[in-house]
Amino acid sequence: MRIFLSLVVLAVIAVGIGKTLMEIPFGEDTTNVGGYYIQSGRDDTGAANIVTSVVVGYRAFDTLGEVTVLFVAAVGLGAVLAVGSASGRRRDVEPASLVLYTGCRFLFPLILLFGAYIFIHGHLTPGGGFQGGAIVASAFLLVYLGCRGRRIRHGWSKATESLGGLVFVGLGLLGLTAAGHFFLSNYLPKGTVNHLFSAGIIPIIYVAIGFKVGAELAGVIDDLVEESE
Amino acid sequence: MEDRETLHEDSGQQSGRTRSFLYLLVLLFLTWLVLTSSLHWHELLVGVVVSVLLALFLNKTYLGLGMPPLSIKRIWFMISYLVVLGVEIIKANLDVAWRIIHPKLPINPGIVIIKTDLRQDIAKMILANSITLTPGTFTLDIIGSELLIHWIDVKSEDTEEATRLVGERFERYLRVIFE
Repeated sequence: MRIFLSLVVLAVIAVGIGKTLMEIPFGEDTTNVGGYYIQSGRDDTGAANIVTSVVVGYRAFDTLGEVTVLFVAAVGLGAVLAVGSASGRRRDVEPASLVLYTGCRFLFPLILLFGAYIFIHGHLTPGGGFQGGAIVASAFLLVYLGCRGRRIRHGWSKATESLGGLVFVGLGLLGLTAAGHFFLSNYLPKGTVNHLFSAGIIPIIYVAIGFKVGAELAGVIDDLVEESE
Repeated sequence: MEDRETLHEDSGQQSGRTRSFLYLLVLLFLTWLVLTSSLHWHELLVGVVVSVLLALFLNKTYLGLGMPPLSIKRIWFMISYLVVLGVEIIKANLDVAWRIIHPKLPINPGIVIIKTDLRQDIAKMILANSITLTPGTFTLDIIGSELLIHWIDVKSEDTEEATRLVGERFERYLRVIFE
């Protein structure tokens, strides 16, 4: 009986899915928005990278939400871990090998430069604020592993993070005041596509996001390292 | 960054700071040029700004590394060093491959200590990494002026002899570059 009932349920689901799939034309665009982005993304936003034209152009408001989610997650993690390590005292850790210590001091500025390159060129090449920020944070992780005993100054990371967020929101609000525009509208001159100074506010927002994400993730790493010691 | 250790006793020397700033600036800007592979004035301008900012904040970390001053002779030796390192890596690869396919597996692994005259951290790191990059030898750690080496075929347990066999082929060049 149970087997029979299961078969009936399965048959109903199969018919439902089958009927739905029949309705969808195969190998064709079912929505117009994707095609529109590809057709006019370059002209509308001035960004050579179509992904960026969607993420920071058409859907910049959504990206503001994502940045907020990341911020809340970082704050939450910090709050949870801060309760755990109420003593606030750090034990002395054994220093890393000279090879690692020297290598991380040598590479740290170069990794930061690479992260900056990724988020500055977000509107031209693959990557952007989130990816560049993650690379910047990985440089700090290397420092935590290789040059133990060094710490980020919390004031600096908090200030960077807040400034990044303020620039993002501030630029968006300026778009609101510029006559007849909407929140996060691209009101700066768009320049020539494929030049570094192009795409209006997009590169500025991506630099702000890069700093913000880098500071946030570095703060998360700092919280975790403190907790594990 | 907060520097909790007193790494740089000589950080009061203004000339050292200036030199490591310029050094880092040039290194960062060259890396920027390689990354962007463009000579458009937008790219150059942003590259200069980013390099100057990073070099301003981070030149202190480069002071303790002991980067060598640049001269034509040193750059020539750096290029020759890359060639020598490449040749040594190929030779060592063939040697280890021969040991692996040999039916008797002629290995005699062990850990030896070798000495180095190099004083700068960066020079010691390059020596250690070069030894690690050549198959058959592996740097476990650096303690002062001694390197702990794992060797696939220990030819001599004597420190002097092991130094001559493992480290000297690289150190010859590094001494010129860094001293």
